[in-house]
Amino acid sequence: MAPIGVGDTLPDGQLGWFDADDKLQQVSIHGLAAGKKVVLFGVPGAFTPTCSNQHVPGFVNQAEQLKAKGVDEILLVSVNDPFVMKAWAKTYPENKHVKFLADGLGTYTKALGLELDLSEKGLGIRSRRFALLADNLKVTVANIEEGGQFTISGAEEILKAL
Amino acid sequence: MASALVRRARGSAAAAPALWAAARGIASVGSDIVSAAPGVSLQKARSWDEGVATKFSTTPLKDIFHGKKVVIFGLPGAYTGVCSQAHVPSYKNNIDKLKEKGIDSVICVSINDPYVLNGWAEKLQAKDAIEFYGDFDGSFHKNLDLEIDLSAALLGHRSHRWSAFVDNGKIKALNVEKAPSEFKVSGAEVILDQI
Repeated sequence: MAPIGVGDTLPDGQLGWFDADDKLQQVSIHGLAAGKKVVLFGVPGAFTPTCSNQHVPGFVNQAEQLKAKGVDEILLVSVNDPFVMKAWAKTYPENKHVKFLADGLGTYTKALGLELDLSEKGLGIRSRRFALLADNLKVTVANIEEGGQFTISGAEEILKAL
Repeated sequence: MASALVRRARGSAAAAPALWAAARGIASVGSDIVSAAPGVSLQKARSWDEGVATKFSTTPLKDIFHGKKVVIFGLPGAYTGVCSQAHVPSYKNNIDKLKEKGIDSVICVSINDPYVLNGWAEKLQAKDAIEFYGDFDGSFHKNLDLEIDLSAALLGHRSHRWSAFVDNGKIKALNVEKAPSEFKVSGAEVILDQI
């Protein structure tokens, strides 16, 4: 699958999520994104440094600004199980808007064409680092990193595009 | 063949426990754990920086088991209920008794990456007592026939809940729960009697 790009339609997929009442749900991307402006960003792995210390905090801290510019949902996707995503989300007690979604088997990441083989680091097949902006399921911004870098996939770049 | 019987037995909810326990596949009492999983290595739980510093090195099974008395237990997943609240604490709280019986190391293994495992082990404050290893690609558990498909729970292929006493690589005792949500035979108390 070629990586998703500007002009493409966001594919549908089922992701795991522990909601505000701590119930495990299967949520559909189309259910969350149809008719709305959404930010979808992805990271290689929960509890790894760049993901935890830079990428996620950027979106957690700039969530209000993103919402003020019309973003309805800020969705984080990682190839981790929902229990791990829940535990990781708890390490950001100040988070109000970012939904930590689990692509446990990597199916959605593959549908986006954004899988990355990190087996030699003990991680297996994961997601590339990326950030997308989609308006009623049409991708308007696609910032996809090469390798493990963190240059264009942060919250600032999305804010600039809004 | 034993493994075919195991697969049939696992499929039916009313599988005869004795048959199921006897036909455990490759991992069984008396077998050599290192030979059962040739070429397999595990990844010690660590932070990413430690990974970089050690060039993401893996630990071959023989380094863990040869010449040592080891108690090893496996569980479906870091940060999940029974694993966090009952299974790991059982070993953490009995570490002194295990050491008194001559156990050199207590190992916890699961199909998680080493960074998630490290975060979890630190949260449980269990790293002093227990060594955590990630079977990140599942090959250790696949070779020992201790794998279970938990895709329905969005976990993918994971480990059964189990424990074993391994003396210089030879499996002396092996306890496997009938269902991963159960915690009856794989705790520290049971294995203390088997050492």
